[in-house]
Amino acid sequence: MYKKKENLYGYIFILPWIIGFLGLTLGPLLFSLVGSFTNYNVTSQMDFVGFANYKEMFMYDDLFWTSLYNTLYFVAFSVPLTTIAAILISTLMNQDIPGMRIFRTIYYLPAILSGVGVYLLWMQLLDPSTGLINQFLALFGIDGPNWLFDAEWSKPSLIMMKLWSAGGSMLLYLAAMQGVSKTLYEAAIMDGASRVQMFFRITLPMVTPIIFFDIVTSTIGSFQIFQEAYVMSADNAGAPENSLLFYNLYMWINAFNVFDMGYAMAMSWILFIIVLILTIINFKFARRWVHYEGD
Amino acid sequence: MKRFLFLILAAVFVLSACGGFQIGDSEGSNSSEEDSASGETEGSDAEGSNGETVTLDFWSFWGSEQRRPVIDKIIEDFNNSQDEIEVQHTYVPWGDIWTKNLAAIAAGDPPDVIINDINTVKLRAQEGQMEPITEFVDSDVQNRFYDQMTEATMHEDEMYALPFNTDTQILFYNKDLFEEAGLDPEDPPSTWAEAEEYATQLDVEEGGSYERIGFYPLIGAGSDVWMMNALGENYVSPEGDVKIDTEPVHDTFNWILEQKNKYGENTITSINSQFENAQQDPFMAGNIGMMVQNANYYVQLRDFGQDINFGVAPLPEKEEGNGHTSWGGGFVAEIPKGAKDPEASYKFIEFLTNHDSQLYWAENNFDLVAHEEAGNSAAESDEFSESGREVYSLMVENMDNTLLTPQPLVAPDFASTVNPTFESIISENTTVEAGLEKAQSDLERIVENNR
Repeated sequence: MYKKKENLYGYIFILPWIIGFLGLTLGPLLFSLVGSFTNYNVTSQMDFVGFANYKEMFMYDDLFWTSLYNTLYFVAFSVPLTTIAAILISTLMNQDIPGMRIFRTIYYLPAILSGVGVYLLWMQLLDPSTGLINQFLALFGIDGPNWLFDAEWSKPSLIMMKLWSAGGSMLLYLAAMQGVSKTLYEAAIMDGASRVQMFFRITLPMVTPIIFFDIVTSTIGSFQIFQEAYVMSADNAGAPENSLLFYNLYMWINAFNVFDMGYAMAMSWILFIIVLILTIINFKFARRWVHYEGD
Repeated sequence: MKRFLFLILAAVFVLSACGGFQIGDSEGSNSSEEDSASGETEGSDAEGSNGETVTLDFWSFWGSEQRRPVIDKIIEDFNNSQDEIEVQHTYVPWGDIWTKNLAAIAAGDPPDVIINDINTVKLRAQEGQMEPITEFVDSDVQNRFYDQMTEATMHEDEMYALPFNTDTQILFYNKDLFEEAGLDPEDPPSTWAEAEEYATQLDVEEGGSYERIGFYPLIGAGSDVWMMNALGENYVSPEGDVKIDTEPVHDTFNWILEQKNKYGENTITSINSQFENAQQDPFMAGNIGMMVQNANYYVQLRDFGQDINFGVAPLPEKEEGNGHTSWGGGFVAEIPKGAKDPEASYKFIEFLTNHDSQLYWAENNFDLVAHEEAGNSAAESDEFSESGREVYSLMVENMDNTLLTPQPLVAPDFASTVNPTFESIISENTTVEAGLEKAQSDLERIVENNR
């Protein structure tokens, strides 16, 4: 009897969350699944059109493929590069030298600053003729590229910009590294291990669970890139030459510019499936390289 | 107990899912009727006939220090002009306003009046996002506006909005530099060839790089503006006729590329980035002799470029007799679908677009208004300086040359498809021939699919 009552309280306490989840997450989710098989335009029509949206997407819509390519390109480069950058920075930040707190704060700051302001700042830095980056390159006689104005450089520019916010993951790695037992390093030093050996044989394996977590979450996050492209190609979404037409941006155009919400919903489900498959693959591979203490 | 909880949760879930399904024409209009009915019984939004005032929610994106007081004054004048309707202004930032509007319409609780883009009126009308206003509009009101603006608010013989303001692209040129180069400062170029010729005289080249450029078509205007200038019409008609792979358009791109190769990529990038960074404006600094800009650029010259001695002219034409065609956009005041009292809303948008409100807006914002006569009055207004009147007069006159480009219903998202190809031609990754052929066939295919 006591147990039952306790269960009831439990349910009551999580009821707000359950209602929120059902009403605000699961409801819209299923609604969008149904909507993806319709010509839903938000205001006046919602006729069942079968697989027409999906067929259009895969067979006729070149921009769907362009946006998918752009997004995969971005994920493929930005996830590994930010992960490596975050590990390297946190390794540096894990040293025991005076004033380290200041450095940690400095490197973490970019993770706090985000959004449109930062993108505008980067647009100035990346400016081909007056930007700091090209002016710096000019000191070495290098004629810098046109960055955001050049279809070949626009995606690398965004990836480079993303590296700046590696400070967020750095904090996680730093916490993990500080959690590695000192006795392991002491034993290694006794055995005459070098610092590089200690990094690859002790530190790195011990933080693999965090690396795994970081890769999974940043992959999902990178697939949803939108704001950067929306701000940085403001006049002409996706410019130059559609090189910044990312998946979510194109989905947004379909939903809110041309009111083809059914099509946008279908696109969102394809994105969901792609991300789901990649996450499953991530988990399958994780068994081979992620090391859990106590395993 | 578990089963009971499950039932509650299931019910909540089903209800929440059903909420989303309350759409469709018949249901949508039902719910809006219910809305207005409940509004009346509650009292606050009751009809004027009951002796109480209707409160209207008006959404605009005019929140700047310059514009907000002007629109608020017009609203105040309207509220004081009668005692049946009370308008409240809600400022919703640019970028959010239209997605919020769409969500509000879907939720059955839209604003009563909203300022929206003129070129997408037909699309919104087709998608059932607006209340038609034909029954309220009399011919006097309909004839207030420039014809092309009225036309842009029509869909299937119904009028859906009243035009509010517009703009146009004109040529700005530096009279002092003209004099210095031995050109007549009162005789701006009138054809592409003349523009090119004058530009060469205005150019200042030193050590292989340009210190000053005379004229480059793509500063201040896109290739689409020049395509329209050459064609005398938009390259895709509302019915879906595509005129991209045509001689005038070929000439346009060849002409632009010629200028680009003369100055070189670096010079162009450098000038463009000076504009984007809002550091020293290259036109005010005297680094450009002539350029096409939205006529509103005058405000910047007035406020920040005191020393500059400039003149204005219509866009040069492709060759004599081809027409000085320019491009403009603009905004309308419209009533979102499901608004509680369209008639009251209409009274307000009628007031917004009457002669006095429009003149007040024009004088205080130096903005080209949709009301033709109010525009003519503004062109002679004492509120402006002499140069202000000169520019405003040209803006008004230039409406004869100005095209609006309502989004064709058969290809609403044509820009995402063809613009990259145009960009690719300008960056010389594609030849003019191959690029235009591709853009033409891409757009034709979209039109075909949507028909």
